[in-house]
Amino acid sequence: MNCLKISSIALLLVSLVSCKKFQDFQVNPNNPTIADPSLLLTNLEQTAFATISTDPALACRYLAYTEGASNSQYYGWQRGSFTYGNISQTVKMEQEAARVGKTNYRYIAKFLRSTFIVNMTQEFGDIPYSQMMQSISKNDFTDSAAIRPVYDKQQDVYLAVLNDLKIASDSLSSTAVAIGGDIIYNGKIDEWRKLINSYTLRVLISLSKKESNTVLNIRQRFSDIVSNPAKYPIFASNDDNGQLPYYNITGNQYVYYNDNSMKTDYYLDSSFVDLLKGLKDPRLFVFGEPTTASGLPAGDFSAYDGLVGSAPLAYNTSKRGQGKASQINRRYAYDAINEPSVLMGYAEVQFLLAEAAFRGWISGDANAFYKKGIEASLEFSNYNDTYSASDITNYLGQPGLDLQTGTELKQIVTQKYISMFMNTGWQPFYEQRRTGYPVFETAGSGVLNGGKIPARWMYPSDEYTNNAASVNNAVKSQYGGTDDVNGIMWLIQ
Amino acid sequence: MKKIAFAISLLVAFHYAGFSQTSKLTGIVRSAADSSVLAGVSIEVKGSKGGTVTNMDGQFSITVRENTVLVFSAAGYASQEVPADGRTRLNLFLQQSEKAQLSEVVVTTALGIKKQQKTLGYAVQEVSGESMNKSRTPTATGALTGKVAGLNISNTTDLFQNPTITLRGKTPLIVIDGIPDPDADPFKLNADDIESVSVLKGTAAGALYGALGVNGALLYTTKKGKRSVLNVEVNSSTMLQSGYTVVPKVQTQYGDGDQGKYAYVDGSGNGTEGGGWIWGPKLDQKVAGTPSGFYETTQYNSPVDPVTGKLVPLPWISRGKDNIKNFFQTGLLSTNSVAATIGGDKGSFRVSAAHIYQKGVVPNTGLNNTSFSVGGNYALSSKLKVETKLTFNREYSNNYPTVGYGPPNILYNLLLWIGPDIDIRDLKNYWVKGQEGLQQRNYNLSWYNNPYFVANELLNGYRKNNMFGQATFDYQLSRDLSLKFRNGFNQYSIDQDNKEPYSYIAYSYISKGNYSVTNTNYIDINSDLILNYHHKISDDFSVSVTAGGANNYRNYKSAYATTDGLTIPGFYSLTNSINALKGTSTLEERRTASAYGMVDLEALRFLYFSFTGRYDKTSTLPVNNNAYFYPSGGVSAVLSDVLKLPEAVSFLKLRASWAKVNTGFIDNNNPYAHLTVYNIGTKWNNVPSLVWPSTYISPSLIPQTVLSGEYGVALGLLKNRINIDATWFRNKESNNFVNVPQSQASGYTSVLTNANVFVRKGWEFVISGSPVKTRDFKWDVGVNFSNNHLWLKKSTQTTDGYITYSDTYSGSHLVKEGQRTDMIYISDARTPDGKAIYNSNGMQATSPYAQPFGNAAPKWIYGLQNTFSYKSISLTFSVDGRLGGLIYSTTNQKMWWGGTAPGTVNKYRDDANAGNSTYVGPGVVVVSGDATYDSHGNITADTRKYAPNTTAVNYISFMQTTSGAMLNHYYYYSGSYLKMREVALTYNVPTRWLKGVFKTASASLIANNLFILAKLPNVDPDAESDNLQTPSMRSMGINFNFKF
Repeated sequence: MNCLKISSIALLLVSLVSCKKFQDFQVNPNNPTIADPSLLLTNLEQTAFATISTDPALACRYLAYTEGASNSQYYGWQRGSFTYGNISQTVKMEQEAARVGKTNYRYIAKFLRSTFIVNMTQEFGDIPYSQMMQSISKNDFTDSAAIRPVYDKQQDVYLAVLNDLKIASDSLSSTAVAIGGDIIYNGKIDEWRKLINSYTLRVLISLSKKESNTVLNIRQRFSDIVSNPAKYPIFASNDDNGQLPYYNITGNQYVYYNDNSMKTDYYLDSSFVDLLKGLKDPRLFVFGEPTTASGLPAGDFSAYDGLVGSAPLAYNTSKRGQGKASQINRRYAYDAINEPSVLMGYAEVQFLLAEAAFRGWISGDANAFYKKGIEASLEFSNYNDTYSASDITNYLGQPGLDLQTGTELKQIVTQKYISMFMNTGWQPFYEQRRTGYPVFETAGSGVLNGGKIPARWMYPSDEYTNNAASVNNAVKSQYGGTDDVNGIMWLIQ
Repeated sequence: MKKIAFAISLLVAFHYAGFSQTSKLTGIVRSAADSSVLAGVSIEVKGSKGGTVTNMDGQFSITVRENTVLVFSAAGYASQEVPADGRTRLNLFLQQSEKAQLSEVVVTTALGIKKQQKTLGYAVQEVSGESMNKSRTPTATGALTGKVAGLNISNTTDLFQNPTITLRGKTPLIVIDGIPDPDADPFKLNADDIESVSVLKGTAAGALYGALGVNGALLYTTKKGKRSVLNVEVNSSTMLQSGYTVVPKVQTQYGDGDQGKYAYVDGSGNGTEGGGWIWGPKLDQKVAGTPSGFYETTQYNSPVDPVTGKLVPLPWISRGKDNIKNFFQTGLLSTNSVAATIGGDKGSFRVSAAHIYQKGVVPNTGLNNTSFSVGGNYALSSKLKVETKLTFNREYSNNYPTVGYGPPNILYNLLLWIGPDIDIRDLKNYWVKGQEGLQQRNYNLSWYNNPYFVANELLNGYRKNNMFGQATFDYQLSRDLSLKFRNGFNQYSIDQDNKEPYSYIAYSYISKGNYSVTNTNYIDINSDLILNYHHKISDDFSVSVTAGGANNYRNYKSAYATTDGLTIPGFYSLTNSINALKGTSTLEERRTASAYGMVDLEALRFLYFSFTGRYDKTSTLPVNNNAYFYPSGGVSAVLSDVLKLPEAVSFLKLRASWAKVNTGFIDNNNPYAHLTVYNIGTKWNNVPSLVWPSTYISPSLIPQTVLSGEYGVALGLLKNRINIDATWFRNKESNNFVNVPQSQASGYTSVLTNANVFVRKGWEFVISGSPVKTRDFKWDVGVNFSNNHLWLKKSTQTTDGYITYSDTYSGSHLVKEGQRTDMIYISDARTPDGKAIYNSNGMQATSPYAQPFGNAAPKWIYGLQNTFSYKSISLTFSVDGRLGGLIYSTTNQKMWWGGTAPGTVNKYRDDANAGNSTYVGPGVVVVSGDATYDSHGNITADTRKYAPNTTAVNYISFMQTTSGAMLNHYYYYSGSYLKMREVALTYNVPTRWLKGVFKTASASLIANNLFILAKLPNVDPDAESDNLQTPSMRSMGINFNFKF
């Protein structure tokens, strides 16, 4: 055996194990690089329609928490977080839609993006809008405007959102290529148009303090929609609700299904219990459980009592220990399906119309809209047919329930508040911030923030790290340089 | 008679006919140190099977041929070859091997090349396998703890969890017989197969392993065949985990409940059951008017009154004072191995088999580990040698405990969330009567699992088959030139399954039963072709050149499937799923091709230079940037060989080395980390979804670079009785693969790119010696201590000098240029001098920006090995630990939060139980002014004025909200500790008792983890982190070792 032979055999062996070229490794076999927009839509809908959270329920005095002192309940919160990651998904869905020529996805993307933007601007005030998403849409990582977008005035953000919503509603077409992956409306484009128009009404009402603003022209926009139902259909029943249903499949179950805290530490707030008891509202029976101390059946209003959201934790844990407080209804922890997560429902639309009629933005009977809203809410909330059709009729027939002169707005917003128990995200909080109804009780010594209800959230700390100049400018121009939870943003000035 | 003798001698003569004359050689072997006679010295005839040993008087007698060479060897002595030369009498003195000059120590370096330590420009520390095979740890790696400067091994107290290994702060490459083992499974190597472990500490040492060796390497050399007579070695250890080194202490005076109230309703935890807290009524309270004379309340084991249908109250007394001890069983670690080796002129081989059985302290847990290994070498011709080794190893467990804070962890249910009102032994019967297989029986059914239920029904099955080995061909082309071809592989397959019973609870989850299966297959193949040229130019100069090429290929494939609920409870099969099966599959391939070279020069008999270069091409980077080169250079100067030094200095060497190493591996566990792809999203009602990633991957990624320099000195004093070795190193890490955060409004939260420069610096000291050495008594001692810390040198992507950084110590935080990276930040508000700031409601306030609290990395880690030998008895012990650095303790935090910490027993707790708010948290409130922060969270102006906090709150609410963090250093404790790691008292049986049956025999009393001195209460800081660990156990046992 000579050296040449050995070397050549050895080299042959080396080459045997290295037959695959380096180019062949440049594909990840585990994940795709392109996608049909339907696959992105499914994920986006899971995010946009997931509105159920206990934090707004605590902040809105529906519930009180007994496991520890909650910053939502005691108004001790500080920073919020951005959700631009969701907007990235809408941009990607638009790109993929353009690639395969399925236009409807683009307009649904515009709508979903509007919901994310509205949520953020309500939380913070000014936010990046006109220069956002350049890294992903233009693949730009060099321009400082692209990677450090400026913050837009809240008014400009709303104007852009309203225009986007109009384009989306005008452009969605039931004759265009069908959409798939739609876990909300199963591809029914007309339902999407109803949702978009109904949502636009919500945005317009949320701008009620800017009624006279000629740039936004909200009264005109509102009546444009309501007066032209053929072009701008809105929700006509609970069947139209924009909502995400839950399924008894791991990962698709109700958010608080089997949640330990939900089983042991969430109690109705006494102010909420008193409100429902005062109205003899049967929804109390689907929202809460009778107290153990009362020993009374579920259908008896006097079986219910609540904890005091503003009181120190010890007061509440002690009252709980005596069995004198109503837990949140068992269904929230023990039913895998419970109720859907609502982005926007029919009842809310009726309350919006009622308020618009009251304000004179549209013609129509405010009381009729208002009563329809209450009826829709009772029907939506009637878990396991806890109350009967006649219970609903009786409730609606109470003379005191009709709108009374001088308290119209209070009654409308309060009924809207009741209808949003453990659903529809922070919407009841923002309605309260706008109108002052209902009054959130802050008398107890547990309340932080000097006894005040915060009006906003501080900007996320990563913005101070990654986009400091822009966020500092925004804080300076809106809040006199102090990023503070009590700052009053343009929307509610 | 004479005739017979004549016939025998004739036969013998005939037997040797054709060979040379034979003669009988007798003699005595003595120690060169003190002339004492040496028993049991092995005398082998070189190149044949013949041999003998010296008797108790050191005498031997052997029949030899004239031209025979005899090899004398004995443990602890340098073996010596002596030609017979027709002698009949030979008196020999053996040198003790530890007296061998430092300059002659040979160590294994990169690619398995053995070099004299004195020639090396970098730090290498070698640990002999001998030191690891008496006192046993579950893994061979664990036995290295505290023995090597710069090597930090964190040992977990949990069964079947890998120790964490860092070398100079990073995870080193594991190499077994020259073949990198990227999986680094510490359980796959049998400790008795280890000849030695060579720790190549720096980047320079690893330069020849390329990107894999960027963090240094641990080179395991396993035992192979040796030229010798038949040697059989049996080693057996059995250790019992018979006591606690550290066990959490819990209070025994208050039971389950909240605000001093407790009455069992239905186990769901609400209302009077108190949400699962241990803040209930005081136990053992005498009251009048109850049947027992004690306070009584309904409990989970209350009988139902047949008349009223209600639960009957039971006395509220402390039954569960010893729950932890009553639940755990005695753990066992039993190690048995046998090995045989034999060898002759042409070749040799060795076979070994070993079995390790570990019984866990948690009932129904255990681990088996079986290894078989065969290896050998053979000279196929005078020029071609082949060496090969193949090992099969199987790790198998029907159940091992789940670790980490959470419901499947036994400690969660046994230590933190059970009150002393419950005797754990009453829960042994863990099914509800009539609902066996469906509903566990426990004192609380919404938060916690019955520990016996977890141990016996929630089963983690694991079976891993490892196969690894190599074949090396060595061809001597000429006197100076040789060619080596080596092919090695690592292969494993894992078959894992998890059984989850009905009614198992995990936070917001109550199981309807589940069964999941994971199957994994892995193989890597490493091929090296190495050409070696060595030439001695003159007595003063010689050169050796190595050039090689290598290819590394990996393939990892894994498939996972799980049920979504089980239709038939307890029937664990994928076919039994209620909803559609869920599953994933993964394929990962990776390839690296390399060429490398090394030049070693020796000059003037004291100067040694070494240069290496390596060129790698990897599949883990974009093809246009996937090739890179890295060089290294080192110099060693043995000054004691040229300079006239004071007599006390017997050895002095200075060394220095520099290296640049690149790595193209962005994520060791994902070879596709440079490719942007969609993530798989959640299916909704079986509709699939995809998610676009939030990180943008730069298309122009280049390799990450470490530039390293190290400088050292080795000093031998008093004829090398004292040896000192000191090293200082500095690694500059640049072009790091970093997810640089950006405003998420831009579309991505971060961009993966090359960024930032870090510097890691550290010291390593090794001091060893034999302070006392007499005829019968000897004391050997070795101490090492080391440190390393990482600084941010430059932020390349931001203009303000700050980066967002996260490491194993703490989550995402800001680091400024020039600062150390291991600073811990906490968000609890504190005054500049560290007092807690309270809100108006008497609870701890939160700071709008997290503030620095302290450093996490240890100041120093250290180890000490000590051996006393007296005649046939030796006592070895080793101690190690760390100094400084903070460790967060989940166990302590949860104990204070939940109400089980002994410190919660105080008058405020009684007040709270009585409904009174009397506790005033220690600290201050802000009465005026405020703090202004810059956008990095630094305080720029502070006008705050403080007054003592005076708001009295309910003690229990206070603890539930704050965990009492401000009372307990925010649960960051000093990580300093000293641990008695291992002790072995060995008796070597005198040869005269062995009657020739055994060559040597020894018995040892062994102990591990004997005691610890630490500032961290309730948990063992050895693991360097605490996320609810198993109590630290003391192991004691016995080891037998026989050679025959």
